[in-house]
Amino acid sequence: MLFNLSPIFAYLDPGTGSFIIQMTIGAVVAAGAFIKIYWRKIKAFLTKGEDSKEA
Amino acid sequence: MRQIEASSFRDPSGYLYWDNGKLIRHISIKYKDHYNSLMESGLYTKLIEENLLIPHEEIEPQQGTPDCYKLITPELVDFISYPYEWCFSQLKDAALTTLRVQKVAMNYGMTLKDASAYNIQFHNGKPILIDTLSFEKYEEGTPWVAYRQFCQHFLAPLALMVYTDVRLSQLLKVYIDGIPLDLASILLPAKTKVKFSILMNVHLHAKSQKQYEDKPQNTKNYHMSKRNLLALVDSLESAVKRMKWKAAGTEWGDYYSITNYTEQAFEEKKALVASYLEKAAPKVVWDLGANTGVFSRIASNRNIKTVAFDIDPVAVEKNYLHSRENAEINILPLLLDLTNPSSAIGWANSERMSITQRSKPDTVMALALIHHLAISNNVPLARIAEFYSILGSNLIIEFVPKNDSQVQKLLASREDIFDSYNQDDFEKDFSEFYTIIEKAEIKGTLRTLYLMSKVD
Repeated sequence: MLFNLSPIFAYLDPGTGSFIIQMTIGAVVAAGAFIKIYWRKIKAFLTKGEDSKEA
Repeated sequence: MRQIEASSFRDPSGYLYWDNGKLIRHISIKYKDHYNSLMESGLYTKLIEENLLIPHEEIEPQQGTPDCYKLITPELVDFISYPYEWCFSQLKDAALTTLRVQKVAMNYGMTLKDASAYNIQFHNGKPILIDTLSFEKYEEGTPWVAYRQFCQHFLAPLALMVYTDVRLSQLLKVYIDGIPLDLASILLPAKTKVKFSILMNVHLHAKSQKQYEDKPQNTKNYHMSKRNLLALVDSLESAVKRMKWKAAGTEWGDYYSITNYTEQAFEEKKALVASYLEKAAPKVVWDLGANTGVFSRIASNRNIKTVAFDIDPVAVEKNYLHSRENAEINILPLLLDLTNPSSAIGWANSERMSITQRSKPDTVMALALIHHLAISNNVPLARIAEFYSILGSNLIIEFVPKNDSQVQKLLASREDIFDSYNQDDFEKDFSEFYTIIEKAEIKGTLRTLYLMSKVD
């Protein structure tokens, strides 16, 4: 998806390098959170609910 | 008479000006949709409820004002302070406030278009966003425009304070738009490269900036999902929360426990300060050399707005933590080196005010301070009197004579070239600027406490 930064309100220079690194961090952190949730689910499944607190 | 605020020029959304003592924010027609969205989406109400944004009222624009959508009058902050005057926890709380505002804004379909530390002020003891025009409508897919600024103004200085040296917050005086990340990356120890948040947001961020600095890209092609953006903000929040700095181990932070005051003399001094404050009846007090704020609180607990300045980051940190714990609203602890107080900086030397350009106190307190200025820093007594007299009309000052053990300590390592450092000369020099209203020896010490009033 494309977007337009309105030239009036993007008065700060966001910096290309800053854009790229934050997109990377956002993706890594979001993926990490996703994996964490599923890992807990798998763990809960394998331990058959013994560890229900973590699930 | 109308006077535009010197710091209010970067953002074309509007500007601030003073009109006969009233602070007014002019909102440009271009900003109309964003302002309406802030006010109508429920975001403004939510932010006010959470005490995150300065409240304002709308007033009728004067006819014929060009490019004016609305005029608003924000609530006034008692004392404007800057990030290089904040202790570690003040900068940390300001960072968390900025991130909280961003999270709330995103829930209402808006985003922060800047993340400047100067947009945060301490208002009744709490950090609050003072720039009503910092919001814009969030467009799904856009990265956070203010991310770089957040890292430079908050994350890098906090990391430097924690992992390198707490005094590095002073770099903010040199770099008005925050600490350059390549510099922060050099100054941070290698061990910070194994900390994910600092590795990514400082070290690799700096590398990424360098990589793309000469390669203009069409950033319109960059896409960041809302989920990833929220994950970024969450991760910044937990990175800031994890940063801890323990205030301990300087000369001043432990001052009261090592001072030569007996408990009785200490109480006596407190009672004298209280009685002088009753007489001076100030609305605003500046306590210079306030340490952890024991004497400042004699003022602030009397509902007097009190700014407690000290040179020591540990003392200011302890003072701030105490004020935060007790939800105190009248005291503002700040870091200040009196031998080199904050000067006017920024564009045309007028963007950020010097300490003397800001709102002034009615009464100055300078307790157990004069020997540090006169002996450690060689400032003649008359010059000290002159500086205090520029600040406020009344002065509560403690004279510490040469035979006091604290002064002896200062003189232990150097030659005594201070012939005129004595009580007679002190009174004579100060009398050029002040009338001595009262003086009293502090029982159990060699010291004298004075209440003085400025000569008209």
